[in-house]
Order: sequence, then structure tokens, then C-alpha cells
Amino acid sequence: MPDAFGAPLYGPVYAGIGVPATFNAVAITVIDDTRPVTNQTGTRPGSNQGGNGEVRSVGPGAYARIPELTAAGIARDDYIDASLSFNGRTWTVRSYELRGNPNGEDAGEVRFLLKAADVG
Amino acid sequence: MADVREDILVRLHAILATIPNVRSAQRNNGDITEDQLPAAILFDGDEDTDDASDASMRQPYRPTMVTMTPEIVLAQQSAEAGSDLTTLRRELIKRVLTDTALNETIVKTGRNGNGAIRYLGCQTDFGDGRSLTGSLLARFLFKYALKPDEL
Repeated sequence: MPDAFGAPLYGPVYAGIGVPATFNAVAITVIDDTRPVTNQTGTRPGSNQGGNGEVRSVGPGAYARIPELTAAGIARDDYIDASLSFNGRTWTVRSYELRGNPNGEDAGEVRFLLKAADVG
Repeated sequence: MADVREDILVRLHAILATIPNVRSAQRNNGDITEDQLPAAILFDGDEDTDDASDASMRQPYRPTMVTMTPEIVLAQQSAEAGSDLTTLRRELIKRVLTDTALNETIVKTGRNGNGAIRYLGCQTDFGDGRSLTGSLLARFLFKYALKPDEL
């Protein structure tokens, strides 16, 4: 299957709204995907939402193209706990979501789920 | 200053990291990736007392007994996830219930004091991912003295 998503689709999007980023001192391009979230304290995944109050915050995230990361020598094992800087802030990768496309898992995007760099 | 609750949780987290084959030991972080499996995640437990039935003349800063029920999630992804989780559960229970620091120094069970450590049970949950993905939630009970004047 020809590359239907890399250069034809991701290329213009990342060229238009992508921002320069530094991933463990390696230069890449990401799309800032920081979203508002409400943290329900006192709950865990799968549990009923508790009544301990709400904390409004942001869920910092960023999209990157896996082929670009691979070409830069960044492997999947490097994602967790990596330092990622863009748009004037520095974050730590706490988790990630793989966003495959019809060209395959390794040809898609990854959405990095971030936390403030000073959070342990 | 002595905060038994925090001492227990810190020790439990340390114990999780000693379970054979566990790649990631977390505390209150339930958002992990498959690359971190097998994982062991400690969730801080609820704490309860029986003091609602003890509205006596006892000074409020006198010691009282409390129970805490932390939960530990073991997660694995493999064709034999069930068997793997059973093995991890066995190693977890053995380590928690026989841990010298927990029994003799922190909770003070048996001849060391009137604390207690109990394994309450577990629940399992399985689903499909890249491979069979399962988790096992193990519940423990810790009974210990809360001494307000030492906090």
C-alpha cells in the first residue's frame, strides 16, 4: 500500500500547525494537544466517581509522527519518562497512546501524555 | 513525627518493586502502557476507625486503632495472562504478609504489638489488546495505632 497518510496528509498538517520540539535533546515536530481536564480525586480507574471534589487542570499532550521519531533514533522504549519541550514549556512523558493508520501501527502517530517536568 | 499510614504505603511500594518480573511499580498511577507490563500499582487505601461509637470522655489526642485498606493492581499482557497474574499474586501476598519491616517495625503485629495485616481477597478482569490483557486487584487490610500526639 502506498504511503497515503505520511507525506500526503500528516505532512501539510504538521507543516501548518506543528511546532518545533525537543525530545531528549533530539529535534522533532509535534502538535500541541493540551486539553482541559477535571480530576476527580479519590477515585481510580473503573471505580465510581467519588464526591471528594473536583480539581480543574490541563491534560498536557502532544502528537508526533512515529516515522519521524524512528528516523531520529527514538524507539518506543524511549518514550516513557522522556523530556519533551515545546511552546515554551518542558514536560515529562508519563504515558502514550499509539494512533496507527491504514499504513500500519508504525506509520501512524503517537499521542504523548505529559506531566509537569517537576512532578515525580 | 510518625505517620504509620505513610510508612506502610512507602514500604508497600518498595515491596512491589521486588516482585520477580515486575517491570514497573507505580503508586496511584493507573495510566500505564503495555510496554510497562507486568506492572504493579499501589492505590492508597481508605482509612477507618471505630471512633464513631466511642464518643466517651477519652481525650481526643489519645491513641486509637485504625484500619487502612490499600489496593494493589497487578497487570499483565500475554497469552498466559491469567497464569502470570496468579504467579504475581502469589509473590505479592507472600512478600506483604511476611515482610519483616511491615510486621515488626511499622504495623507491629503479633509479639511486637496489637497491629494486624490481612489479605482480604482479589478480583480479576480480562480483556483483549495486542494480546490477552488482564489485571488482578488485591486488597489488604492494615490495622495499626494512630497516635495523634506523635503525628
